[in-house]
Amino acid sequence: MLGKLIKHELNATGRIFLPLYFIILILSLVNRVLINISISTGPLNTLRGFMIAAYALSIVATLVVTFVIMIIRFYKNLMSDEGYLMFTLPIKSSQLISAKLITSLLWNIASILLVAGSLLIMLGTSNNMTILRDFIDFVARGLKASFGSNYVLLIIEFTIMMLVSLVQQILLIYVSIAVGHLFNGHKVLGSFISYIAISTIIQILVTLILLIWARIAGSSLAELEAIPQKVFPFSIIFALICNILFYFGTNYIFNRKLNLE
Amino acid sequence: MSVILDCRSLTKKFGSTTALSDVNLSLERGRIIGLLGPNGSGKTTFIKIINGLLVPDDGEIRIAGMEPGVESKKIISFLPEKTYLPDWMKVSEAISFFKDFYEDFEEKRAYDMLHRLNLDPTKRLKTLSKGTKEKVQLILVMSRRADLYCLDEPIGGVDPAARDYILNTIITNYDENATVILSTHLIADIENILDEVIFIKEGRLVLHEPVDEIREKKGKSIDSLFREVFKC
Repeated sequence: MLGKLIKHELNATGRIFLPLYFIILILSLVNRVLINISISTGPLNTLRGFMIAAYALSIVATLVVTFVIMIIRFYKNLMSDEGYLMFTLPIKSSQLISAKLITSLLWNIASILLVAGSLLIMLGTSNNMTILRDFIDFVARGLKASFGSNYVLLIIEFTIMMLVSLVQQILLIYVSIAVGHLFNGHKVLGSFISYIAISTIIQILVTLILLIWARIAGSSLAELEAIPQKVFPFSIIFALICNILFYFGTNYIFNRKLNLE
Repeated sequence: MSVILDCRSLTKKFGSTTALSDVNLSLERGRIIGLLGPNGSGKTTFIKIINGLLVPDDGEIRIAGMEPGVESKKIISFLPEKTYLPDWMKVSEAISFFKDFYEDFEEKRAYDMLHRLNLDPTKRLKTLSKGTKEKVQLILVMSRRADLYCLDEPIGGVDPAARDYILNTIITNYDENATVILSTHLIADIENILDEVIFIKEGRLVLHEPVDEIREKKGKSIDSLFREVFKC
């Protein structure tokens, strides 16, 4: 059933994302050609400026759309009239949340890859690729020099941390919308307030933990090794705990407190 | 006859207002039952609880012996009073959606009914009028082979000609083991098809009787009894 839900979710969101992705790929191809034409004046130059601006705009649009769609899909499909359809399907409400989460995660990653890919298409001349490779080498050497054998661990931890934080951002929105749903008559406002309140609480918690931790651990926390050995693992575990709370909090509200208008 | 729906002292409050109060009710299979009451009497609250969209504060409810949940949703076909289909979908996509999630959905029946009502399955829902959307929803809901159909105000928004067709659809599309609960305040229109009626008033069950008995014993139509019970 989860598979079917994800299929329908991709279907519902793909009709917005795919045309946008297509436009970006076309624009980056056009720009690749335009950038490599050596003309500095005349209408072609104006066109080039225009196309690059269009490209930049479409990149911004993709990132904004990815974020906005994530919110609107969850709200409209589950909390508005469409909720009557979704919550009477023979499906656990946790699967509704999981399907939305997995789909949002996929589109977020797809959008990031697409932006990176389109930049490569547009600027990926052999000259630029050498510069890019040199830069990556430079960063890798720097990391090796600073972290020694911990360097691979650091990269793995960093990747996991990015993923877990992305999930945290998505679930924070979901739980805020679910909590906002409990505010009768002011559900959207309630969602905003919940979002701000929950993020503030988390900020305060993190700050407190870090302060106490720094006091106990003393200067050892300021050393470079502390990053892969303490700071990153802590961030990952903290985010994981938040994710679990957000997920089950949303599910609890859906199961026990649902009250569609 | 086996019981399809059983409630014991079912109660639901919203803040200080009591939407349902101590409802005890047992419904059998193979009936068409009118759930009748004025606006705000608790009809929709009751139907939402049956469908797992609200959790009661007190009492219990069993659908074919099960608490509301995944298993009960498999055997209930629910028509809410809302237009609940995503409006970007084509009618045919809504049909595939139902086919994907409900094992008892019969695609052919849905297309036959669409055809008979001259509805084009390739149209997007957002291009259809409100009444037409309601017809599409009813077709989807009645194309399932469910044990319990919960229809909340199924005839409110459509013209009288379509109303007849819809009521006819309901009668001819459920089998003898299934029960239909119809909530409405347009009593005269549905009176002839009902086997039983339930009256709710201010969240309380005031009457649950077979229609024949009401006609014979009290010598009244449901419509006139309703006007009497709910006199303002």
